Amino acid sequence: MKKIDVQNQPVLPPRRVFQIALTGVKYRLFRATVTVAVIIVAMAFLMNILTESLIKRAVADSVREQIVDLHRVDRWIARLSMPQPHEDLLALLTNGEAEAEAWTELAARGGLAMKELEALQPQARAAQDALHFFAALDYGRRRVLVGPAESIQIFHRLQEAGAWEQFAANLTDMKTLRFPTDMDSFQAFLGDWPALYDALEGVREGQSAALAALRAQLGDTPLMGALGQVDGAFGDQIRAAGFSLSAAEADTLVSEVERLEQTLRIEATINNPGVRQKVAALRDVLPGDVTLSMIWDLLRDRDRAVWFIAAMQENGLETDRLTPEGLEALARQRAHTRLLQVAEQQTMGAGGGLMGIGARMTWLALVSMLVCAVGIANAMLMSVTERFREIATLKCLGALDAFIMSLFLIEACLLGLVGGLGGALAGFVLAGGRMALMFRGLLVQAFPWGDVAVAAGISVMLGMVLAAVSAVYPSLRAARLAPMEAMRIE
Amino acid sequence: MTAVAPHSQNDASPDAPQRVIIRTVGMKKIYHRGEETTYALRGISVEIFTGEFIVVMGPSGSGKSTFFNMIGALDSPSEGRVFIDEVDVAQLTAEELAFLRCRKIGYIFQSYNLIQYMTALENVTTPMAFGGVNPDEARKRGMDLLELVGLKDRWSHRPIEMSGGQQQRVAIARSLANQPSILLCDEPTANLDHQTGDEILAILQKLNKERGVTTICATHDHRMMNICDRLMWIRDGDIDRIARRDEVEVELGHIE
Repeated sequence: MKKIDVQNQPVLPPRRVFQIALTGVKYRLFRATVTVAVIIVAMAFLMNILTESLIKRAVADSVREQIVDLHRVDRWIARLSMPQPHEDLLALLTNGEAEAEAWTELAARGGLAMKELEALQPQARAAQDALHFFAALDYGRRRVLVGPAESIQIFHRLQEAGAWEQFAANLTDMKTLRFPTDMDSFQAFLGDWPALYDALEGVREGQSAALAALRAQLGDTPLMGALGQVDGAFGDQIRAAGFSLSAAEADTLVSEVERLEQTLRIEATINNPGVRQKVAALRDVLPGDVTLSMIWDLLRDRDRAVWFIAAMQENGLETDRLTPEGLEALARQRAHTRLLQVAEQQTMGAGGGLMGIGARMTWLALVSMLVCAVGIANAMLMSVTERFREIATLKCLGALDAFIMSLFLIEACLLGLVGGLGGALAGFVLAGGRMALMFRGLLVQAFPWGDVAVAAGISVMLGMVLAAVSAVYPSLRAARLAPMEAMRIE
Repeated sequence: MTAVAPHSQNDASPDAPQRVIIRTVGMKKIYHRGEETTYALRGISVEIFTGEFIVVMGPSGSGKSTFFNMIGALDSPSEGRVFIDEVDVAQLTAEELAFLRCRKIGYIFQSYNLIQYMTALENVTTPMAFGGVNPDEARKRGMDLLELVGLKDRWSHRPIEMSGGQQQRVAIARSLANQPSILLCDEPTANLDHQTGDEILAILQKLNKERGVTTICATHDHRMMNICDRLMWIRDGDIDRIARRDEVEVELGHIE
């Protein structure tokens, strides 16, 4: 018997394999385009979600303080009208020394020593955890666990006879629920709750007394008007009543109130038929079609602001303290405020989840990835199956299995790369455009270039990986077949 | 062994000693489908010598193609052995099989099986690339081979731009890429018109005569009888008959 004189087959250099794969793709350009289109759509969806969420998060981060400022007057009016709700007090207690002023105020109101406040802190934290748990529950299950009670009433309800046992039994039955703490510590907390509640009530009573005194001093003056002079005597009265109010805060409040008051006066002009008709004539619309934003648009122009004040005077409206410069600034400020309000609404759910895109968006992204994986797998499977004859021929000509595998992998990666790039670009343009329309000026400073680049990288990589992974199985199967089997299958 | 000593008039070097290039021993192929067992080959033992031109004939379903795939190392027998150049095919690794298919055997198919996205020249040079020939050398040899089949001026055309006959000629050039010692043709003229078929047969005959390539053709084409050394009939998965051409011609003469 003769010795085997065949040797191993040389491996083709990668450059040559790449060339062959590229020629193949070029030849089947239409087919390849369809596959690429599938990848583009899938990756564009992913990139769109990522970009939008990242932009929202960045905007939310950059305007958070401005948004807090937006509600300064509202917050003071609320503070000076009624005692703070229990939930807010619990939050204050939990935050602790982080907000020193509020902490001191809390101690003074409740007549508590610092030590006592600190002792209450762990319980306040437990209360907040429990409240978060109940707030996140759906209505049906909350109803079963604690009846119609909501928020801190839940703790009261659980004090009632038999309520605890029923609650504990029901909770054990709901096997999918995880209570934030174990049952024993929650029961211990409930035991401490009356004391905590009393302390909170003490604080609230202190606040009520102070507010009553303040109101008596205020007489018939509306709160809003009084806040307009908070840099004077009223500010001292507030401080005397035990509220912390810095001089700088007082100055800001005064200008805010002034601006609000002016805004209200301008917006009231729309109810004046004379002014309305003049604006309608200028804008060449019917008086009934004059809108507030039309008026604000006018005021952004200095000359128009002068004209508008004249129009107000003509129709017997009060123009005291209204200057063209002031109105122009007000109009510009209002546009910015509107943007901030939009930003506040739009970025409500931002943060959390993958890359900070939010938990819901993470789910959407994952599902979209799954859908696109199936789509790409199908496209690759088709493309491999319809080429069984070609694979068999190549094997007859002496191709190694590895060559056939790499041929298809290179093709898949190529399509994935092009699709990923196209998808990333399309998704970016769509999301960027939509967000630019929504946030306008706010976006310029806050645009998260770095994060978006990472998201684009992820999309491209994912496109490639998904395409490659879904090509592995069919091409492996095709390469392993005996050449004649492959030809017969076709 | 019932192999008839081959007539060596077509061999390039008549004085060279006859050597066995393909030998099968009790080759069987059995397909199982559920309870059913099909015998595609029922134990074929045959010897094929270097430089021979053998024509294999038989009705469709006779196991002709299966026999072909076995001796071409494209499929493995269920029982028995196949020796190519005295090497047991069953003992080769995947890489060695690829080497064998690449250098020792050239394949020509009924449906040409050219790679659609490659030009004629690329099709011809692909087996050379697999065999590790450097691209410049491959290009030169590819052009020579295309000249041999008369398609030198069409080297840059894709299969879709060529007629069936031209495609088959490119396929022949491709099968010769690495100077194989065996040429396996599976109905090479079946898809072609009469005249083109003649051209293809002329090329095959020329290759066999001038280069001494062992040629094995499965066919229904009776013109093949005129150029072959031996004829082999397969029926129901077994060899019906093997005969030298001159013997057959005598019989045909009787029938006419």
